[in-house]
Amino acid sequence: MIEVKEVRKQFGAVQALGGVSFTARDGQITALLGPNGAGKTTLLRCLVGLLQRDHGSIAVDGVDPAVHPIAVRANIGFLTDQFGLYERLSTREYLTYFGELHGMGKQDLAARIGEVSSLLQMDDILERRSKGFSQGQRIKVAMARTLLHRPRHLLLDEPSRGLDVMSTRALRVALAALRNDGCCVIMATHVMQEVSHLCDDVIVIAKGCTVAQGSPQQLCERTGIASLEDAFVSLVGTDEGMLA
Amino acid sequence: MKPRFLIVFFKEFRETLRDKRSLWLLAVATLMYPILLGYFLNQQINRATQPEREGIALTVIGADKAPTLMAQLKQKNVTVTALPPTSDDAIETLLRGRKTVAVLRLSDSFTADYAAMRPARIELWYNSASDTDARRRDIDEIVQNYSANIAGARLLAHGVSPATMAPIKLQRYDTGSNAARSAGVIGSILGFLFFPAFICCLSAAVDSTAGERERRSLEVLMSQPAHAWELIVGKWLAAGALSVIGLTITLVLAHAILSWLPLEEIGMSWRVTSSDLALVWLASVPLSLFAAAVQIAIAMNAKSFKEAQSTLSFITFVPMIPGVAVSMLELKTATWMYLVPMLSNQTLLREIAKGEAIGSLPFVLTFASSAIAALAAVAFAAWRMKSERYVLAV
Repeated sequence: MIEVKEVRKQFGAVQALGGVSFTARDGQITALLGPNGAGKTTLLRCLVGLLQRDHGSIAVDGVDPAVHPIAVRANIGFLTDQFGLYERLSTREYLTYFGELHGMGKQDLAARIGEVSSLLQMDDILERRSKGFSQGQRIKVAMARTLLHRPRHLLLDEPSRGLDVMSTRALRVALAALRNDGCCVIMATHVMQEVSHLCDDVIVIAKGCTVAQGSPQQLCERTGIASLEDAFVSLVGTDEGMLA
Repeated sequence: MKPRFLIVFFKEFRETLRDKRSLWLLAVATLMYPILLGYFLNQQINRATQPEREGIALTVIGADKAPTLMAQLKQKNVTVTALPPTSDDAIETLLRGRKTVAVLRLSDSFTADYAAMRPARIELWYNSASDTDARRRDIDEIVQNYSANIAGARLLAHGVSPATMAPIKLQRYDTGSNAARSAGVIGSILGFLFFPAFICCLSAAVDSTAGERERRSLEVLMSQPAHAWELIVGKWLAAGALSVIGLTITLVLAHAILSWLPLEEIGMSWRVTSSDLALVWLASVPLSLFAAAVQIAIAMNAKSFKEAQSTLSFITFVPMIPGVAVSMLELKTATWMYLVPMLSNQTLLREIAKGEAIGSLPFVLTFASSAIAALAAVAFAAWRMKSERYVLAV
């Protein structure tokens, strides 16, 4: 479970986060919706302890990332907006590197690489070096790295971008499996269809503040608008919604 | 469980070994200097010893006019080739072909002038652009002696002592020993021997910091359960290992070449034994680690891969400055020199090459000065990586 209360973060004169509060529960997929520049990346970086918040509290299973960043990161799978592949390493070597950084043993690692590889249908690229990988192959590798150490919490920044229809389906199946395992998944996305299909809970942030939290259904009811996309635009304010 | 810095080290090292460009750089930086050095010294030695082995090749036109001179030339190991009268152009062509050191041409009136005791003309044709100057001077000297002998005989015939011709006798004494004479040359050779320490780690240092940031994989790495210092130390050791490898190859190769060449022939000596070299190498390992640490600290603060590369290619030459300054100011070796990385290593090897007994303090200081500086640079880099400003730039 991830609990965030009144988190604020200022960079010089710029207020990146002006009071974000939400709770992401275990066994749920929580969507993080917000226009570009709403503060999603800053929020995710605060959650893994890369940035220190100015105010408020964060608890990841009760642990504060500002105090124990290593303990928090050990239990988080973080898919950033960049893939972070190494062109001169094969997919297996890449996954082994990150698995070892998480302290996984050799046998466990080999077995787990097999598991995530079949989950994400990427056996064909396991022994290839990542140079020349397509967008879809790159995100699969990054996703495999995110899931490798069986984290209880997943922070995913637009996990479905660049995936073809088959891979998107595979990803959805994988996410649903994680939810059933009781993982806490936070997924930043711009695809409304994905939110309504997959997510149990939605957090809407705009200009660094939480605007609303609830199930897609609840958000539609609250705004009195039937489509989630229109509800979102109305929640973040029309102008910003148009820009996004 | 493997320590995390070792995991990072092995990954970075493996990646660098797969980078053909940096391997080429490593090969060129380590092999080229000792090989070029050996080649040039060998050329010099050949040139210096050639006259002894082969004698001096001289072409003479009108040789039959001065049989005594020819006999004296032969005595001095000069191989004379006689030629019939030849045009000026033909002589020039002959000299350009470098088959002969010089051409002596006795004038047509030589015999008549000689008999009449008028100055008998001998022309010495040579090419000062070729590197035969020393041998040309030998021939010059033989002809001068020949002339002096005739003058002496003529004076004697008139009842005057030949000693009248030499009112002053100049005696030369050279006190320069081989080692002292070679100190200057060896000193400048040593200046570059440690340079690979800074070249070989360059591409790995830039690639694993500024490069990783530019390829946008650093944020992922920093979100792993590893401390900033573990990441930095792993990257530092990977770059440092390449530098140690490069430095080792250069030192061993240069030592082998310098020991093998008969340097005494050109008035130089290399009095470094293999165990001396092993000690110098050990004292120089921190220099490699220092080079890698400084380059990583600078590269990670650069805004881009390109900026890191261009800044570092300048900074790589900075460690050479103290050595150049010391030799330009002609400073005497002093203890403080062992406290400056790079200068300390150069000074250490130079003193040993001169055959001086220096004790253990210089070794300890050389080791410690680079090691402390390296750790300081690593600590700075790790502190910098943790800072918020750095995370934001990732």
